[in-house]
Amino acid sequence: MLNSKIPAGSLDKKWEDYKGHCKLVNPANKRNMEVIIVGTGLAGASAAASLGELGYKVKAFCFQDSPRRAHSIAAQGGINAAKNYQNDGDSVFRLFYDTVKGGDYRAREANVHRLAEVSGNIIDQCVAQGVPFAREYGGLLSNRSFGGTQVQRTFYAAGQTGQQLLLGAYSALERQVALGNVTMYNRHEMLDIVVIDGKARGIIARDLITGKLERHFGHAVLLASGGYGNVFYLSTNAMGSNVTAAWKATRKGAFFGNPCYTQIHPTCIPVSGDHQSKLTLMSESLRNDGRIWVPKKQNDTRKPSDIPEDERDYYLERRYPAFGNLVPRDVASRAAKERCDAGYGVGSSKQAVYLDFAFNMDRYGRIEASKRQLSNPSADEIRKLGKEVVAEKYGNLFDMYAKITGENPYEVPMRIYPAVHYTMGGLWVDYELMTTVTGLYALGEANFSDHGANRLGASALMQGLADGYFVIPYTLGNYLAGEIGTKAFSLDHPAFIEAEKNVQSTIDKMMNIKGTKSVDHFHKKLGKIMWDKCGMARNEQGLKEAITEIQALRAEFWKDVRIPGDANEFNPELEKAGRVADFLELGELMCVDALNRRESCGGHFREESQTDEGEAQRDDANFAYVSAWEYKGDSQFELHKEALEFVECKPTQRSYK
Amino acid sequence: MKWSQFFNTSIGKKLLVGATGLFLCSFVIVHLTGNLTLLKDDGGEAFNIYAAFMSHNPFIQFLAWGLKIIILLHAIIALQLTFRNRAARPVKYAINPGNQTSSWFSRQMAIMGSILLIFILIHLKDFWYVMHYGELRPVTYEGKEYKDLYYAVYEAFKVLWVVVLYVIGMIGLSFHLVHGFKSAFQTFGLNHVKYNGLINFVGVWLFGILIPIAFAIIPVFIYFKSI
Amino acid sequence: MEHYNMNLTLKVWRQKNADAQGKFETYPVSGISSEMSFLEMFDVLNERLINEGKEPIAFDHDCREGICGACSMHINGRAHGPWAGTTTCQLHMRAFKDGDTLTVEPWRAGSFPVVKDLTVDRGAFDRIIEAGGYVSVNTGNAQDANNILIPKDDADAAFAAAACIGCGACVAACKNSSAMLFVSAKVSQLALLPQGQPEKKSRALNMIAQMDKEGFGSCTNTGACEAECPKEISLTNIARLNREYISAGMTYEK
Repeated sequence: MLNSKIPAGSLDKKWEDYKGHCKLVNPANKRNMEVIIVGTGLAGASAAASLGELGYKVKAFCFQDSPRRAHSIAAQGGINAAKNYQNDGDSVFRLFYDTVKGGDYRAREANVHRLAEVSGNIIDQCVAQGVPFAREYGGLLSNRSFGGTQVQRTFYAAGQTGQQLLLGAYSALERQVALGNVTMYNRHEMLDIVVIDGKARGIIARDLITGKLERHFGHAVLLASGGYGNVFYLSTNAMGSNVTAAWKATRKGAFFGNPCYTQIHPTCIPVSGDHQSKLTLMSESLRNDGRIWVPKKQNDTRKPSDIPEDERDYYLERRYPAFGNLVPRDVASRAAKERCDAGYGVGSSKQAVYLDFAFNMDRYGRIEASKRQLSNPSADEIRKLGKEVVAEKYGNLFDMYAKITGENPYEVPMRIYPAVHYTMGGLWVDYELMTTVTGLYALGEANFSDHGANRLGASALMQGLADGYFVIPYTLGNYLAGEIGTKAFSLDHPAFIEAEKNVQSTIDKMMNIKGTKSVDHFHKKLGKIMWDKCGMARNEQGLKEAITEIQALRAEFWKDVRIPGDANEFNPELEKAGRVADFLELGELMCVDALNRRESCGGHFREESQTDEGEAQRDDANFAYVSAWEYKGDSQFELHKEALEFVECKPTQRSYK
Repeated sequence: MKWSQFFNTSIGKKLLVGATGLFLCSFVIVHLTGNLTLLKDDGGEAFNIYAAFMSHNPFIQFLAWGLKIIILLHAIIALQLTFRNRAARPVKYAINPGNQTSSWFSRQMAIMGSILLIFILIHLKDFWYVMHYGELRPVTYEGKEYKDLYYAVYEAFKVLWVVVLYVIGMIGLSFHLVHGFKSAFQTFGLNHVKYNGLINFVGVWLFGILIPIAFAIIPVFIYFKSI
Repeated sequence: MEHYNMNLTLKVWRQKNADAQGKFETYPVSGISSEMSFLEMFDVLNERLINEGKEPIAFDHDCREGICGACSMHINGRAHGPWAGTTTCQLHMRAFKDGDTLTVEPWRAGSFPVVKDLTVDRGAFDRIIEAGGYVSVNTGNAQDANNILIPKDDADAAFAAAACIGCGACVAACKNSSAMLFVSAKVSQLALLPQGQPEKKSRALNMIAQMDKEGFGSCTNTGACEAECPKEISLTNIARLNREYISAGMTYEK
């Protein structure tokens, strides 16, 4: 049975009590404790910096050429914190409540409450580091609002919040590197976990420049390796984002939690052709001022400007009059897919809907004209003034859209379509962020913990930094306190030799296939299966087909993939091949999990489980649990359940009508 | 931080180049004011008295030697930096952006500076050396004997290639200062939207155009007067 | 915007590893859509090279949305290609026309040694940050965020400097391979904020010392860095760095 080790006591006292009673490691002993951290995004970099400050000997690994390039850097919108600076009724409880509800009642209450409790400290810490958050004229911090909440609690730095937070954590990390507390291994990829006597004791990493395999010992191993959205090939993730570290852990006994929970973000720039390598997000904030519509006529090829108002279908406003264009991400995404599938899509691919700013540009223009006391302004003047207002709010996003599409979004409506953005699932962890392998931890997007079946905007940054700055420094100490007598294992320990041998043989096997198809060929095929059958809508038949297709594709991959070059050199194709091989196993598990969960919740929509109006329908009686999957061999997964108990937030059906 | 360290970093050296450069800019103005007496139609009296003053006044002599040291310092440090900058890119680009990303003048500082340095050496040999150590015919004003440098100048600029050489020197000066003047301000951290326009204007119009033309007019004027 | 297809000739720098001799290889590519990004055009070429049994071209890239700073191509003499304020990954093929010849080189600087083909090692930037590009504040030491008032203009200016993505285009574009824009961006961000004041002297001096040690050239104020910076970091930051250096160097006792 899974033990999530949630401390006893009332929800708001659990973390305080835990901190008061957890075991500590004294400074002299910390110097002898080695900690390995894989990944240097918000969770990894903040953990490495914090643990280095405490005096642990930290080794941090990233596959990028610098820890500063981890994909947290691309987060646009902001970071939530229950500061209540706006005096609008926010509180720790409200942030906790919104997050559990937004996650469609599939998250663990105790973890989410802890997240809300430390959220304020994160902002303090980042400001102290010199993160230049947006400010008001009085010099105080500025806030904006995001989807799924009724308060303004989102802190931001223009549209580059993730970048600024990551650079803050990165500079704290580099400071520890300079002090000798952290050793940084850039361009290194973790390829296996070394487990000795049931405890994680190290990793095998490949130096991506020389191709050499290295053995590294750690009293504990922390995975902060991000999410697995790239299993879909096309996603808003970076090209290198991968599941490899988490998957190797899974194969070594760590359970994988809720793999099927995927967030599909409604506002991304649509695919423009077969060449497409990734998708670009247009921030959620655009839905404040953009109205989403499609033509009322199917296969309408007229230009948007030629379609009169009464021939447009503002379908979100029609279906969800209460929330309109600001329904949560999962709802907006499904609605767009429904319209396109029914033949109302726009653009050359017909896989897009319009996000139109004209209406609000005119509205802003009239307000502006009134402010400036212009009498009888012409329509052109109004539009011009409105454009200026919109440019100030969203200028950088409009520029990005124009660069990618070549269209001017001030003149023509944006074309958008949903895209894979985030994965709520990940390695199952207990309250201390430890996986089912003793001494192996998972932080940030790599774990499954805090977002349930759907993540609210601006909460990913919060979780990554909470785990790294404020949770792991306590919970890791609680474990390492029992390890102070453990000497560093020799790197010639049979377990290290065995693990390295296995990694080497997998690489050799891959290199020796010398088949006919590129790695991308298989990745694209996998992505298509996943998108079609385990994407925005899933059903039993499709998922069963997908499992068979993925198994066949995986077999083909191991027979026919072609990896040029050598293993003992810088070889990006070999890196990709290893990652795609893991995606080919994870993809199957995602379908297995989606098949098992015969309910709709958050980002997971089972067509069999919907209301008469086509809305997602949860089944709390049968599925109020976390699915934690144990790897038992090729295509063999055993389900373990962690029952979810809701003490403070009683589940209700979400409605946005 | 010791002063030796302070002036030994890349920025410290740039500060020396900038400071010496701005000092030389001020010298250029003084030098031009004196030289313009060559154009006075008085048979050289004003110029020769000025030249005598400049070569005998102890204070001026002190400054003059200081000036030479500053020129050398400016040139040596700048060349040192230039070689280091070249070495910072051991493999060159096959294609360079040309004027798309920076002004032509800004990229020719070392070349123009070298032309200028060669010019200065020739110029010193031509006039400064003969004034101090060479044979010049005497001339008497109000009972006092002076060296007739004026005559030597007029003789020198009767030769076309000398005139051409001096004009080239002044083109070097112009191109060097179009960028150099304002660049020195940036090196000192003086970059402010309210003053950049003025600095740029002075750099281009006064030091880049007006002063070099005024200098160059002298040999050209003398040459045409002689034919 | 009209879409069109084009045929191009690519001259790409190929270099097996850091020690090998490199040279240009010419690749004709055809049927390139104007809607592709520059890197997607390379994906197409690489796919073809793999199918032909040749080695694909190695190049750094990751986020492909202009923020991670990994991509680094010198295209027809321009760092990140011809568009202003744009990374290579955001450059789209409609910047070019049918029949163009494109010469693609890695960042060229002694401090950025070539790893392979178009991939270079920018570890020098990390070491410069290590030398002082931070505020020394341990986790848990912070006071309430709103206790520090920062004028909006200062916060905005600090943000504009902090927007640097560490791609190295400034070094690549500078005829002296100078890293002054990179260093000045970090020094400026922290010099503009009250949090950065306690360490401002040592920060400026140490980061500059490390910059020199890494072998970057000096700044001759040509402005090429600013012109090529994908985040349009301003030269005023370099002026500020110079001021920081002067005031620190003239008063720092250590």
